[in-house]
Amino acid sequence: METAAKVVVHKAPLKARIYKYRWFYLLFLPVAAFAVVFHYLPMFGILYSFTNYKIITDPVWVGMDNFKRLFSMPNFWTAFSNTLELSIVKLLLNTFAAVILSLLLNEMVNLRVKKLAQTVIYLPHFMSWVVTASVFQLILSPTTAGLVNQILLKLGVIETNIYFLGDSKWWRTAYYIINVWRDTGWGTIIFMATLTGIDPGIYEAASIDGAGRWKKMWYITMPSLANTIITVLILNLAKVMNLFESAFVLQNDAVMDQAQVLQTYVYYQTFNSGGIPNYGYTTAIGLFRSVVGMVLVLACNFASKKVRGRGIV
Amino acid sequence: MAQVQAGIAFQRRKRKFGAFSIINGLFFLLVCFIILIPIWKVLVDSFDLTTGYGMKLWPERFGLAGYISVFTNPTLYKPLMNSILTTVGGTFFGLMLSTLGAYVLIQFDMPGRNFLAGALLFTMIFEGGMIPSYIVMRNLGLTNSLWGVILLPAINVYNLVLMRNFFEGIPVSLFESATLDGCTPMQTFLRIVLPLSKAALASIGLMFAVAYWNDYTNYKLYITKETMYNFQMKLRSIMMGSDLPQAIGGATENTVQNAAVIVAILPFMILYPFLQKYFVKGINIGAVKE
Repeated sequence: METAAKVVVHKAPLKARIYKYRWFYLLFLPVAAFAVVFHYLPMFGILYSFTNYKIITDPVWVGMDNFKRLFSMPNFWTAFSNTLELSIVKLLLNTFAAVILSLLLNEMVNLRVKKLAQTVIYLPHFMSWVVTASVFQLILSPTTAGLVNQILLKLGVIETNIYFLGDSKWWRTAYYIINVWRDTGWGTIIFMATLTGIDPGIYEAASIDGAGRWKKMWYITMPSLANTIITVLILNLAKVMNLFESAFVLQNDAVMDQAQVLQTYVYYQTFNSGGIPNYGYTTAIGLFRSVVGMVLVLACNFASKKVRGRGIV
Repeated sequence: MAQVQAGIAFQRRKRKFGAFSIINGLFFLLVCFIILIPIWKVLVDSFDLTTGYGMKLWPERFGLAGYISVFTNPTLYKPLMNSILTTVGGTFFGLMLSTLGAYVLIQFDMPGRNFLAGALLFTMIFEGGMIPSYIVMRNLGLTNSLWGVILLPAINVYNLVLMRNFFEGIPVSLFESATLDGCTPMQTFLRIVLPLSKAALASIGLMFAVAYWNDYTNYKLYITKETMYNFQMKLRSIMMGSDLPQAIGGATENTVQNAAVIVAILPFMILYPFLQKYFVKGINIGAVKE
């Protein structure tokens, strides 16, 4: 009885509340319109994956045929495993490098030097993937103009120029190094935020107890970072299926077995296949990717709730 | 007592500048070097009129011919203008949608708020994919139109959520007194919310601007007409060698390619030192708060 009375007292009837907020619904209209057009309409488009759709003719319902064809394609499975491998290895390497860099940045005494170092290491993150690929295409070039090859030749490490981006033995190594070069610095921001949040009193107390630099790092800094590291891994694990542009701009025909990922596979099958593309088939590939992506997000969300008490979305 | 303190301070300072600090400093010098060398090399080669040689870190025969080739070439004007246009337009639409959406989502008592928030967040979990998006864009006539590449990335739920986090920091009492003073929701939005969120507008606006300036994927998918290419698309075709601008004044092909890369990152490089703090602020708000 009392709770019912409370509700009546604190909450106006629904109609009155809707009326009170009428202008807000109007303000939300543009956002809703954009979300519907650019996100929800394409979601209905997944129905194409159950059809054969060659644009010039109407879609023809074929049930699960596209998926059957898809799952029997070795190229598809290569692209799938490449997607997982490239993004997960990249994620681990970038996170590891960012943690190390943050720990060392945190030990820097001279604040000016620290600021300067941070300014420099964030920089590559803002270069587009096209620019990044262009820069590395130039400095990794297997000609006398290529900086890296010339240095390695001079040092006697190699005897002939290596075409790093055009050799399937080397492509992945180059891809990971380029990713670490570009995103490690940016990755340190989130760890630095955690590190600056640690109470300096704890370090002082440890110093008085006779703990040295390494002990403090191991027993104070690392445990406080552990949670952030797990968070970063979970947040990014949810995005592993999105890999596209970085692989797309760095790949070429010679390294496709190493570099083809699901998104680029969809792209080439649709826009660059030579024949008349079957949009239904490529939609099916995309749907598979979206579903795996969604499962990953939900799994990571669950993990995130377990680990840090709140979800990621 | 003072002496003891001075002694401790002295000890501390001594330890601070020990071998570790020196090695650490040298390590970061090396890190910065590794990060800057590739960019430096491109910059050097863009000014060098002789055929590039890898180990050279200073131009051998200095000249601006590479840049002259880039800027005097009519096929490069248009992409540069397209880049500027879509960056300005896109940032405007992006900020408009993020602020409006965020403003509505902080109305906790509003019926249906959770549904609207959920509907937006769901788009982060599931998507139709590349091809359904392409078909929708094509059916709407947004392919081969700059409107397409401006409007599509403007609805960015991640940035909208960041904006909402900023807005949640505005004291509720301000909204209440604005309403008592007779402000309509729109007036409150324009006179209270936006002026108080300048830092958020700057950092999220910059995120949008960088994304639009760097956009390649959307152009690759939705634009096939060369007159609508942005500079990233043009740079890509220059680098692939299919579309090299006429090299003039003794610039080699290599010089022109390097100069084009520099032109693509130049606006950002100039602004970056002044804007860095806003970028960092943006990511920290996202990380620290939910």
